[in-house]
Amino acid sequence: MLDRESTFADEELVTILKKHFVSVAIDQWYTRSQKDAEGEFYQAIARQGPRKDMNHTTQGLYVCDAAGNFYGYCNNRHAETLKQILRKALKQFDASAEAEALSAGVADSTYQRSLPEGAVVIGVNTKVLSGYEDTEDVFLKIFQRSVARDNLWILAKELQQLKRGIVAESLAKRIARFHLIDNTRGEPNMWGDDDIRSMEINVADDGQLTGEVEIKSADSGYRTRLRGTVKFDGDQLQQFDIVARGWYFGHGTFTKNAPEGEFPVAVAFRMTDGSDMADSVAPQGSKGWLEGYLKP
Amino acid sequence: MNRSKTILFIVFVLLATSLLPASADEHPQQRQVVGEISGDEFLELHKTLVPEKALWKTVPWQTSLLKAQNMAVRDKKPIFIWSMDGHPLGCT
Repeated sequence: MLDRESTFADEELVTILKKHFVSVAIDQWYTRSQKDAEGEFYQAIARQGPRKDMNHTTQGLYVCDAAGNFYGYCNNRHAETLKQILRKALKQFDASAEAEALSAGVADSTYQRSLPEGAVVIGVNTKVLSGYEDTEDVFLKIFQRSVARDNLWILAKELQQLKRGIVAESLAKRIARFHLIDNTRGEPNMWGDDDIRSMEINVADDGQLTGEVEIKSADSGYRTRLRGTVKFDGDQLQQFDIVARGWYFGHGTFTKNAPEGEFPVAVAFRMTDGSDMADSVAPQGSKGWLEGYLKP
Repeated sequence: MNRSKTILFIVFVLLATSLLPASADEHPQQRQVVGEISGDEFLELHKTLVPEKALWKTVPWQTSLLKAQNMAVRDKKPIFIWSMDGHPLGCT
């Protein structure tokens, strides 16, 4: 989140990346453990940087080449530092050097999260509407105005039920546990099944969706209503425009600096069209346990 | 006040009228009442809650390092890896 609006908000840096580099964004939590060609390539690069222990985070910004030569690393949000590393790399890089394209081989199935057949991707955006104290801290300001992004997967059998006006319990739980959550300041702690105190989501014959959900863990919670429209054209989902809005309290391990007390949070759902690279990213709630996300 | 701030202001006004505070007697921790979402509020929130067009999105990010490596061979370019806890393009 911070990188997007600090490091990558630098026009010159973005121009350098677009013109001279192949840029890739990954969740290293997976890649540093993958036992396949992709994992081995990443681990070989990361071990040339300062974070050599693959049992711990290797988070950061790396510059390398296709042959595995390492040119630099940083993990701060100052665009100038990264630009220096990129420029130095361009001087060192030998475009005439031979490098072999790696073949995929057999991917490590432990770390594969593919969209199930027949499922659809719904974009989810979340915002804290108010409640923050004023701050002069540049990075806190970024968090405070941020609109978070995630994807909701709706499975084929849930779509069949939804078409008949039934919100499957698995879908309702998936929405509640993994998407009615304040993820605007970093990776959130997902709700547990027991945290759902009440949940009712209905779709009327005319496609109007209404709902009310109350979630509460030991140190945070969200009480919200939902409203929106669900429409099908034949068997194809055509519209999934939903808004949840209610009162939130507390924060997660990596989402500190929430407003004090209860504060209003809204979540918007809408269909994706695949035009955004982020549409293909697996839902955060599936991290580490895809089955737990698909069958909450 | 630019357009997005105006929209947010309208949303806050709608919230102020729909999320009325409950009495302290009813909820010792002064829990707020979760009001209905009106049609207007729904439209405003659904329109407002989209990430702004941002510069970082103009970079043609790959999500497969293997594919990026293959592209780097083909295009004779070095590789930049944005490696995070959580997916950088997703929920972080």
